[in-house]
Amino acid sequence: MLLRLAWAALTRHRSRTLLAVLGVAVSAAMLLDMVMLSSGMRASFRNMLLAKGFQLRLAPKGTLPFDTDATIPDATNVIRTLHAIPGVQTVSPVLGGQLHVSLGSRTVTATAIGIDPAVQGDYDITAGRAPASPDEFVANDTFIRDARVSLGDTVAAAAGYDPQLRAFAGRRTLRLVGRAHFLYMAGDQRAAAVPIATLQAMQGERARDRASLFMIRAATGANVDTVLASVERALPNVSAVSTETAMRQVDERLSYFRQLALILGAVSLAVGFLLVTTLVSVSVNERLGEIVVMRAIGVARGRVVAQIVLEGVGIMIVGAVVGLALGLVTARYLNSILASFPGLPAAIDFFLFEPHDAWSALGMLVVAGILAGIYPSWRGASLPIATTLRDEAIG
Amino acid sequence: MIAALLAAFAFQTIDSVPSHRAPRSVAIDARLAADAHVAIGDRIIMSSTPGGPGDTVIVTALVRRRADPSEVARAEYRVRMHLDELQSLIGYGDRVDRFAVSARSDSSTTRAIRRINDEAFGFQAYRSRDIAVETSRTFLVVTRFHRAIGVITIVASAIFLLCIMLLKVDERRRDVAALRLMGISAGTIVRSVMIEAALVAVLGSLMGVGIGWLTSLGINWHYRAVYRTPLAFSVVTPSIVALAVTLSLVLGLAAGFAAAQRLVRAPALELLSGRREDRRDLVQAR
Repeated sequence: MLLRLAWAALTRHRSRTLLAVLGVAVSAAMLLDMVMLSSGMRASFRNMLLAKGFQLRLAPKGTLPFDTDATIPDATNVIRTLHAIPGVQTVSPVLGGQLHVSLGSRTVTATAIGIDPAVQGDYDITAGRAPASPDEFVANDTFIRDARVSLGDTVAAAAGYDPQLRAFAGRRTLRLVGRAHFLYMAGDQRAAAVPIATLQAMQGERARDRASLFMIRAATGANVDTVLASVERALPNVSAVSTETAMRQVDERLSYFRQLALILGAVSLAVGFLLVTTLVSVSVNERLGEIVVMRAIGVARGRVVAQIVLEGVGIMIVGAVVGLALGLVTARYLNSILASFPGLPAAIDFFLFEPHDAWSALGMLVVAGILAGIYPSWRGASLPIATTLRDEAIG
Repeated sequence: MIAALLAAFAFQTIDSVPSHRAPRSVAIDARLAADAHVAIGDRIIMSSTPGGPGDTVIVTALVRRRADPSEVARAEYRVRMHLDELQSLIGYGDRVDRFAVSARSDSSTTRAIRRINDEAFGFQAYRSRDIAVETSRTFLVVTRFHRAIGVITIVASAIFLLCIMLLKVDERRRDVAALRLMGISAGTIVRSVMIEAALVAVLGSLMGVGIGWLTSLGINWHYRAVYRTPLAFSVVTPSIVALAVTLSLVLGLAAGFAAAQRLVRAPALELLSGRREDRRDLVQAR
């Protein structure tokens, strides 16, 4: 009965109800987008960091991984020291650099990483295989497309360019053996991976036995914080960054987007709330006579309130369902804009959909719908019956 | 490289400068000075590697960051030192990473770039403007994002405004019915509703400008403190105000027109009674 009455009230002014639903839908879409934005970055960044199960990263003291050109010396000893620490399961050294590939009259330059193929955590092989010898490398689709090479091709590569001599330095002939998806590289970035010893040798004396970064995977059951403390004690000249620390640093750098999400989300919710409050208030004012008649024939005040609140909740729910679908479409569009940030890893999504985001948005809208209906309905249902009936009769 | 220097700065204790040589001067980031509690006149030891030998230098100036958007998210500290001092400290030899060249005019810049690129051995010259375009890509992305958010906000505002106008007009249907029964033309009623809508829109947008201006002050105060930069994150310019008011006015007029059309198209008696006449019922009654 309650539902039928609420439905009748809503369908009495169809265009008005339709507009309200549309307004709530746009607010809901914005709200969902902002909920996704506030949690999506963190979730996708965490997923990216933990994609290969490495919970710790070591960078030169005072720096973040690959934030500068600084490197850690004596990499062999560092690896040995790390393996001696209880709880350390895998250590993956990485050296950063560039790879210039000469192709006749043109040169293709790629970001290169030197890795230990047996323990690397930087890429997934999508075709071919991992490097098995010092003169083999893998590259991503962008590099393979731009260099116009195929698996099995041999290329003349160099690790540096001397502008004084206008000549490449650290030349090697390398064979492409695999196509890889690099987890931490931007989508349009050319990337290649070679065995770390090869890249160290190509970069010459300045890279001898050096690494830009070490990734550490803790053993199952080991406490990551304990391992982190042990690493810092054993290697005072490196900065150890846990996933949690990295998350905090990302939070700090991208706080703008979280705050924007918070502000716009709150504004969206407020707009939806105001819209439904206005609509329900006007609707109650128009139906004062009807409401007091119901009260006069013995309908309980609570029941009248419930019917009017149901109208507000109904608009909110229908608007929210439409808005959630609309929100997914706009989130996709907004994500495509932010994905074009220079250097942003392709694995990072600013708007990552997780079911609890939709439930959160829906929950907030339903609560707003209930709150929007309570005051006008209570006011309407509390009017003095006789006076209001006389006023309505006189008009 | 600079970061490594600065990392060393915090932990360095070994001075390699001979005692007979006067320490050189350096200018340090005001943020570094605040965080490390260093003041002008202090002597510090700088090194290129953590724990390695370093040089004693004297802080003679604090440098405040420029209002440069490309530096906002960069948290590392900076030190400005004499070129030869840095070259010696990091073992860089007589090398530099780049030269900044000032030209007399735009045409001489073009000529200089051409000559350097054609003749100079081992150099590549770029126009500052081109480098600026490259480094501002991040902000172009943010601008596009803001624009997209703005479009969604405008759509939401338009629907909200239309809804409010519809409700306002609906509330006054009896007054309008009376006016129409008195012979006031539909055009006059539409115009009066549109004027009312325009007033609501303009007053609302002026209030919005006020709220926006206050919000802008808050945003700048907050983010300048967070990023420790003099950069203005939010600005309310006359053109932005004009755009907001104009847009609001146009939306208000459109909403008013749509709402008024509903009012003048309905029969006056139907408006007065508040009941919709069902044509089928009328036909059946006949």
